[in-house]
Amino acid sequence: MTAPVSAGSPTGSIYDLGYRGYEGPRLGRGYAVRSLFSHSLRSTYGLGRGTRAKIAPFALAVLACGPSLGILVVLVFAARFGEQVSDVLGANLPGYDGMWSSTSAFVTLFCGAQAPELFGRDQRHGTLSLYFARALRRTDYTLARIFGFVTALVILQLLPQLILFVGRVLLSPDIVGAFGRDLPSFPAILGQAVLVGLLYGGVSMTIAAYTPRRAYAVAGIVAVFVIPGIVAAVITGLGSSAIGDWLVLISPSSVLDGTNAVLFGVPLNPDFPFAQRPDIAYFAAAGIGIVGSLVICLRRFLTISV
Amino acid sequence: MALISVRSLTKRYPGGVTALDGLSVDIDRGIVGLVGSNGAGKSTLLKILLGLIDATSGTATVFDLDVATKGTDIRQFVGYMPEHDCLPPDASATDVVAHFALMSGLPKAAARERTAEVLRHVGLYEERYRAIGGYSTGMKQRVKLAQALVHDPRLLFLDEPTNGLDPAGRDEMLELIHRTGTEFGIATIVASHLLGEIERVCNFLVAIEGGKLLRAAPLGTFTEQTGFLAVEVEEGRDALAQHLAAAGLEAFVDGKVVVITLGDARPYDLVRDTVAELGLPLVRMEQRRHRLEDLFRDAPAGDGVWAPPPDLTAPTPPPPASSATPPS
Repeated sequence: MTAPVSAGSPTGSIYDLGYRGYEGPRLGRGYAVRSLFSHSLRSTYGLGRGTRAKIAPFALAVLACGPSLGILVVLVFAARFGEQVSDVLGANLPGYDGMWSSTSAFVTLFCGAQAPELFGRDQRHGTLSLYFARALRRTDYTLARIFGFVTALVILQLLPQLILFVGRVLLSPDIVGAFGRDLPSFPAILGQAVLVGLLYGGVSMTIAAYTPRRAYAVAGIVAVFVIPGIVAAVITGLGSSAIGDWLVLISPSSVLDGTNAVLFGVPLNPDFPFAQRPDIAYFAAAGIGIVGSLVICLRRFLTISV
Repeated sequence: MALISVRSLTKRYPGGVTALDGLSVDIDRGIVGLVGSNGAGKSTLLKILLGLIDATSGTATVFDLDVATKGTDIRQFVGYMPEHDCLPPDASATDVVAHFALMSGLPKAAARERTAEVLRHVGLYEERYRAIGGYSTGMKQRVKLAQALVHDPRLLFLDEPTNGLDPAGRDEMLELIHRTGTEFGIATIVASHLLGEIERVCNFLVAIEGGKLLRAAPLGTFTEQTGFLAVEVEEGRDALAQHLAAAGLEAFVDGKVVVITLGDARPYDLVRDTVAELGLPLVRMEQRRHRLEDLFRDAPAGDGVWAPPPDLTAPTPPPPASSATPPS
């Protein structure tokens, strides 16, 4: 059992101790699911993988933080020139409620670029059979992957909001007062981030699950988030109509515009008041989208042959 | 109870293909060869035992646990090396094997330690930090074996482990399987269509054909058959066959070679002398490897010139499946 390793060991001091058994703990299914969840979250940002895998997610995350960094710069200049920060804040600078509309394009691109990394790779390289041959079940695998991606999206949403929050509070002359002023926005920020994560994450992961070829998956994901929005905008622009007013709900981005307005308590799309649906409609549409995509995605992995 | 117990297992794929047809067999510890030609149902059987696919009817147990309901519990202690490519090319061997150690429930530190150990065991050293995309087929097969071993399974399923390997790579892989199975006592099932390879590492054989059990018996009873000697000459094949037949050997022309049925006798000298006598250009003489087709086919695949003696096609009567138990 202690035969020296002959080839490939330049030092000559490495000894093959032979194969040894493992008597330690086996943490089972729950642990495997948690590990896959965190692996999915990390790989979405390219962590634990090569440099090339990090470029797209990090670039898009930086871009998504661009609007809040811009606001931060304005606030710094305002503070420097002695103007009251609160005055500047009052002067039409976007707040937490404007973050969704100014970052949604980057979120869309992030989904298109990263969702196929999780589901496409496993299918292209035949790795699924290695997962399914382990302590996991097919549903465990699917949900761990999806919720890892959803969590990555929630982080992508919260990051710019956090930067904005820190800037608004620390650059204010009355830090404690500013903290108290901004704190009540937190539930809305978190709620919107989770909704965006679930709906965009669920839909893009479902498309990625059915489209192992990466290029098609990217195109499909971007198309699903962009095209219905254009359709809805065109129809709304034509004026009020019985069906057209509801068609806005086929667009994930419009639905999330609606939930954003309701959660932050701001008016939505004042130019087209007729396109405003009842508050509950936006949440119902988001819920249907989330549950529907989860069901379709689970179906894919329950039936796929490995 | 046996390690693996299969009862009347049937699998029909949508589209009407029957991969398994009422298969019943008991498999116990040891290195077990699962042999059959392509499409015989080997991979299907392994996948059902792993819970990767459901059987159409029948039951199967592994470690006395039902594969249909206790899949997760079984798989914690089973390693699986699939037939097809299953490794992401942009990850390193260390990353992949450590990741699948976690997926088998090993704590992080143990996963790292086991990964280093098991990669060393399969013979991957410095290259284990490089991306798998740059590996040779032999190295990829080693990584596939390593990920199946990393959680120290009680039972190992290897599906065509020598696929795509050159002769040296095959020898090394078979040696690895042999060491893993004997020195470390991991029960191993090796599915292969190459009987010649499998008989080098296994001590028990399960032969299936068309989804049915042909035989399950210790290796020895399979290899009592003496096989054939193939003589390749550049010309004068018919004359050689006639002369050998006249000398009392069973010889026939099969394509470019003259095939001689070997009984207990070893007529190598006679063949050599006959070739020399006829002045034929001899290219090679080789003992034909046993192939499943040779042992189990009902009629030779050749042109029908020759029919093998009945004792070749029907070796010994197959024992009842349930009594088949290899020595452990």
